Amino acid sequence: MSTPIVEMHGVTKVFRTGAVETKALRGLDLQVQRGEFTAIWGPSGSGKSTALNLIGALDTPTSGTVKVDGQDLGTMSRKQLSAMRRDRIGFVFQAYNLIPVLTAYENAESVMALQGTSASEREQRVMTLLEEVGLKGMEHRRPYEMSGGQQQRVAIARAIASNPAVVLADEPTANVDSATAENLLTIMAKLNQEQGITFLFSTHDPRVMTYARRLVGLVDGVVDSDRSKDAGAE
Amino acid sequence: MTGSAIVKMAWRNLWRQRRRTVLTLISIAFGGFLAVLMTAMQDRSFADFIDNAARFGAGHVTLQHPEYQDQPTLTRSISLSEEDRAKDSSDEDVLKIVDRTAGQAMVSTASDTFGAMFIAYDPEREDENTMEFTEGLTAGKLFETAKDDGIILGRTLAKNLDANLGDKVVFTLTDRSGEIVSGMERVSGIVTTGSVSTDAALVLLPIGTVRKVVGYDPTETTQVAVFLDNGRKSVEVAQRLRERHGGDYAVLTWDEIQPEIKAFIAMKVGGGRVFEIVIGILVAAGIFNTILMSVLERTREFGIMLAIGYSPRQLFAMVMAESAFLGAMGLVLGVLLTAGPYYYLYNTGIDMGPIMAENMESFDIGGVGMDTVLRIGIFPENAAAIAIAIVVATLAAGIYPAWKAGRVDPVESINLV
Repeated sequence: MSTPIVEMHGVTKVFRTGAVETKALRGLDLQVQRGEFTAIWGPSGSGKSTALNLIGALDTPTSGTVKVDGQDLGTMSRKQLSAMRRDRIGFVFQAYNLIPVLTAYENAESVMALQGTSASEREQRVMTLLEEVGLKGMEHRRPYEMSGGQQQRVAIARAIASNPAVVLADEPTANVDSATAENLLTIMAKLNQEQGITFLFSTHDPRVMTYARRLVGLVDGVVDSDRSKDAGAE
Repeated sequence: MTGSAIVKMAWRNLWRQRRRTVLTLISIAFGGFLAVLMTAMQDRSFADFIDNAARFGAGHVTLQHPEYQDQPTLTRSISLSEEDRAKDSSDEDVLKIVDRTAGQAMVSTASDTFGAMFIAYDPEREDENTMEFTEGLTAGKLFETAKDDGIILGRTLAKNLDANLGDKVVFTLTDRSGEIVSGMERVSGIVTTGSVSTDAALVLLPIGTVRKVVGYDPTETTQVAVFLDNGRKSVEVAQRLRERHGGDYAVLTWDEIQPEIKAFIAMKVGGGRVFEIVIGILVAAGIFNTILMSVLERTREFGIMLAIGYSPRQLFAMVMAESAFLGAMGLVLGVLLTAGPYYYLYNTGIDMGPIMAENMESFDIGGVGMDTVLRIGIFPENAAAIAIAIVVATLAAGIYPAWKAGRVDPVESINLV
């Protein structure tokens, strides 16, 4: 088996508010392989979003190890973490996650631009992606000129434009209607199947769980269940 | 990401809150407007004041006996040859070179006697650029040649002496050897300078008359007054004249001759600077408030940008670019806002005479009369300093918000949970 895209070993995360300690993760172990379409699910407070933050290099664990694409995030400087997010991780947030002053095209190309990709290469890649997510002809629209679903599709295009090792999607369907949610999930599932892009969701949405090929259930900061639809129960 | 992309985003960000940006620009422009007008008023008044002091005294640069500054008596005289005068006159910054002999005198009429300050000048060499009193003639006429008969008195002195046009006046002074000598002339003119103290002591005489009375040669005088196109070049012209004349004469600038005026101007400039700094701080505080508010409103956006790979440095640069745009546009707007009033006040001005007459007995500083028409004119280096100060203040106001933008915690701001 190849190196997992995501590895978490004995990860704990404790939040302190004054004298109050909240243990969000209590020794989480998780591995995500390349090409997976995985959903982390669980009740509120189970630690699924905290886990996503740690994998996304947005936060640091209290203890334990988090590796993305084989690199230990705990050994990296702020600058290296910033580069890691830019080059190896794609993000799709709940809503309002586009840069308002940029057009759909500019939003989609922004991470590639940060990477220093040439303008011609960006254009070729972004135009293809926008077409794949069904936004051909809307390149010049600003976020306020698009629906929530269209904005999320731009966010998906932006997340995958830079060829990340993994796309982290936090409740990507939470702020859209059912039809749009189905549409978004279809697009992501297609990208996963056709291009092998790894997706890792944090969700409450049963529709996401329907599309996911692997379901990781968290309860009280530890893995309570881990089921792969491809290989049966584990 | 290229710098141009950051700049493009900064430009667009400015126009997300159009009204706020416009109000900020207006406050920057108005601050610049105030600073320019205040400084221009000060600069023009000082330039005029220096010119007046030069006309009333002994030019922007003065050639005199090396000991005259400490012992200003008629025994300390000099003679500038025509050859030297021609050489000095050929200096590109020199407008005119005239002889002035000044000193203390007693003036008497049949009614009374008063101490006075006399200035003897050569009317054929002087004109409105060099002689302050030509505009203040209230009765009689000015001298036309250096050998004219007559004496011109300050208005208050004439009143105190009960002297009218045509009345005899005896003036007494010490000659070149320290002996007391007298002359007698009839009053040929009465002048006012705007300064009560000066009007109470001023006596004007043709230089030929004084030379004859004190026994001077035809070119001998106590001071040679050098007038310049621009009084602010007095230091460099004085240096050139020193090099030309060696140690033959003391070459002094107007402020060395009249240090009290220099001190007054320095005090006023200091006060003006404080005012400008206060304006600058107020403008910067307004800009700071605007930029900080716009950063705080975009916390979530900055969190997302950091999450997807923008570096804190890039966010800092973007907010600083927004500040720079505000400063540059505020500067342009400030120029547009200032141009009209500046043009009017530079060329036409406002006559403050009636207001000053109500509130002031004398329009003078240190005995040097002031123009009652308020005009402005800013020195180029001060205009540049204000422009730079606006941009620097705007950039400085953006530093903390820009730093804060790069320090946003993505987890908290995005509320990923």
